[in-house]
Amino acid sequence: MDDKTRLDLYRVMVLSRTYEEAILREYHADKKPAFDIGAGLVPGEMHLSAGQEPVAAGVCAHLRGDDAVTASHRPHHVAIAHGVDLDKMTAEIFGREGGLGHGRGGHMHLFDPHVHFSCSGIIAEGLPPALGQAFAFKRAGSDRVAVAFTGEGAANQGAFHESLNLAALWKLPVVFVVEDNDWAISVPRDVSTAIPSNADRATGYGIPGERIDDNDVEAIYAAAGTAVGRARAGEGPTLVEIHTLRLWGHFEGDPQAYRPELADVPGQDPIPAYEQRLTQDGVLDADAAKAIKDEASDRVEKAISFAKSSPVPAPETALDYLFA
Amino acid sequence: MAEVVFPQLSEKEPDAEGVLATWFVSDGDQVASGQLLAEVMVEKVSGEVLAPAAGRVRLLVAEDQTARQGEVIARVD
Amino acid sequence: MSATDTSAAAGAEAGQAERKLTTARAIAEGIGQEMERDQGVVVIGEDVGAYGGIFGATGGLLDQFGPERVLDTPISETAFIGLGIGAAVEGMRPVVELMFADFFGVCMDQIYNHMAKIHYESGGNVKVPMVLMMAAGGGYSDAEQHSQCLWGTFAHLPGMKVVVPSNPADAKGLMISAIRDDSPVVYVFHKGIMGLPWMAKNPRSVAPVPEEAYETPIGKAAVAREGTDATVVTLSLSVHHALDVAEKMASESGVDLAVIDLRSLVPLDTETILSSVARTGRLLVIDEDYQSFGVSGEIGARVAETDPGLLRAPLRRVAVPDVPIPYARSLERAVLPTPERIEAAVHDLLKA
Repeated sequence: MDDKTRLDLYRVMVLSRTYEEAILREYHADKKPAFDIGAGLVPGEMHLSAGQEPVAAGVCAHLRGDDAVTASHRPHHVAIAHGVDLDKMTAEIFGREGGLGHGRGGHMHLFDPHVHFSCSGIIAEGLPPALGQAFAFKRAGSDRVAVAFTGEGAANQGAFHESLNLAALWKLPVVFVVEDNDWAISVPRDVSTAIPSNADRATGYGIPGERIDDNDVEAIYAAAGTAVGRARAGEGPTLVEIHTLRLWGHFEGDPQAYRPELADVPGQDPIPAYEQRLTQDGVLDADAAKAIKDEASDRVEKAISFAKSSPVPAPETALDYLFA
Repeated sequence: MAEVVFPQLSEKEPDAEGVLATWFVSDGDQVASGQLLAEVMVEKVSGEVLAPAAGRVRLLVAEDQTARQGEVIARVD
Repeated sequence: MSATDTSAAAGAEAGQAERKLTTARAIAEGIGQEMERDQGVVVIGEDVGAYGGIFGATGGLLDQFGPERVLDTPISETAFIGLGIGAAVEGMRPVVELMFADFFGVCMDQIYNHMAKIHYESGGNVKVPMVLMMAAGGGYSDAEQHSQCLWGTFAHLPGMKVVVPSNPADAKGLMISAIRDDSPVVYVFHKGIMGLPWMAKNPRSVAPVPEEAYETPIGKAAVAREGTDATVVTLSLSVHHALDVAEKMASESGVDLAVIDLRSLVPLDTETILSSVARTGRLLVIDEDYQSFGVSGEIGARVAETDPGLLRAPLRRVAVPDVPIPYARSLERAVLPTPERIEAAVHDLLKA
């Protein structure tokens, strides 16, 4: 893998983490002294993706702006890696008029049609629409693909199984990316899933499945490259499952009392590990790393400012945009 | 004058009875050649009856009435 | 026969009677004409191909357009309805068939949380121009899980238009309008109006249909019968029963009923309803869906919140009395809004 690609992967992951840290800060800033989910500038549920950046970076590096991506209730890293408008995304998370959905969708319902990005808060239900986007692309004779991101918990929902079968049957240019972060809220994988790897389920639907065990962005990049390549070449769908890491809670406010290895978790953070590896390989040094982090920080703070200065939607507009 | 015949829908039972399920035209209507005149049923199979020629159609069987495959069900004058 | 906003005589040649179709054939013709006009229109569902749709709504389309545009699916409603959504998001205009409205339970998330909400959630930036059509209704002993109407449930949830034709001409026009609409449209056809050769049919299920493509406006009711003594508001198969009762009562006792064919539930044509009720002062709503928390209550509420003084007698409604639809014919006939129940309700309404 060339140095530029490796640095780009690192850069995307740093931007994503910097973003999530900023949202974390903004989200909790005005929910003190005790957590009140409906309070503050960013009310509601918040599902942050710290630890899962390698998945988004490694997969989206292979995608173009005209490829479609559907994501889950934990969408920020995927949105950032796929090039969603960061200012408008942030304004949407803050529920402002200048947001992607004029404040109507919020953090779980981000839509950026310029890069064919959408996400949904219903587990596994982002898979069927991705099939439809892939269907439209295939029918138009293009090599565009659709990538559906979902979690290991979703792999037990009917929509998952229906989608794998139909995608395989109709040989749709879709890639299913399963982020196995070990936890479906508080339920660990071995309490929910009868088999150890969803890559094996893929085989059951007649499509290739690969499982990456170690949250390594370069291994993810390689597997995703193969999968996206297959889809572009008209060879049909692939499932890629990545054992990744949920660094923080399921949602912000989750005390995670159910998580026994919590103390060990920060030590598994993939970004410092990758930074160290790139430094050892001579691709990155301390100055370059700092420059990347500063750039990320500047970009993120600009987005936050944009959001904060965007007006709150007028109540009289609450019925707008129901029908086209 | 052209005869409109109840189609053969059942190969196994060529003499079986069916039903004239739906007339799409009324007695005395002007019809065009190939125009959909009726829908018929024999057991589970339905079939279309098209006008064999243009002209005025005279219906010989009522809707919902039984008729035999091969029976003349209308005329086009 | 129900009046439409289109000229039923259009296209009729001198001396040649107007061309009649069953509702099923009219729907298929509407879809077919839009498929000719717009390459982005495809038909997706179970048995929509060679079978032509279980209730005939897609008859002939596979032969005309081939398997690339008329696609039989596995029994995977969530997947193929979602597929329709994604295709619509990318600019296609899919017509997706849910075989029975009763099956919405297995796929409702895609319908009400995705198809209906994406436009709003995206602040109008993403459109979902798809049609979700479905068969509904009872009267032929298909029992609890295969006889429901359920249009009230779809109408209740924001973000999807809901249309319910009663006759062949409206069926074609509403399908064309639904396909051309940029919003998602739920299109519900009662099996009893389809004019199928294998199900008892009302004579109005076969009627003149203009040959050219035309739109019947969504959100506009039709006055199926003008009248002065009472306003009967209804939809779908019940329009035919209402008209039958109206004709019977007119000839037997001179009662003059107005019958309004809603045609659409979302948007609902409140103006046409109110204007008739203002004249007659008496309102009967017939709805083959479950009675409580549905169409008849909504119409009553709209009258009451405009001007309860419009009514000279209490609202009457004939609907399925909040019970699953039973199998035995005697029981099914006791719960459906039959002509007998309708006539009794009209007597009641006029006495008060």
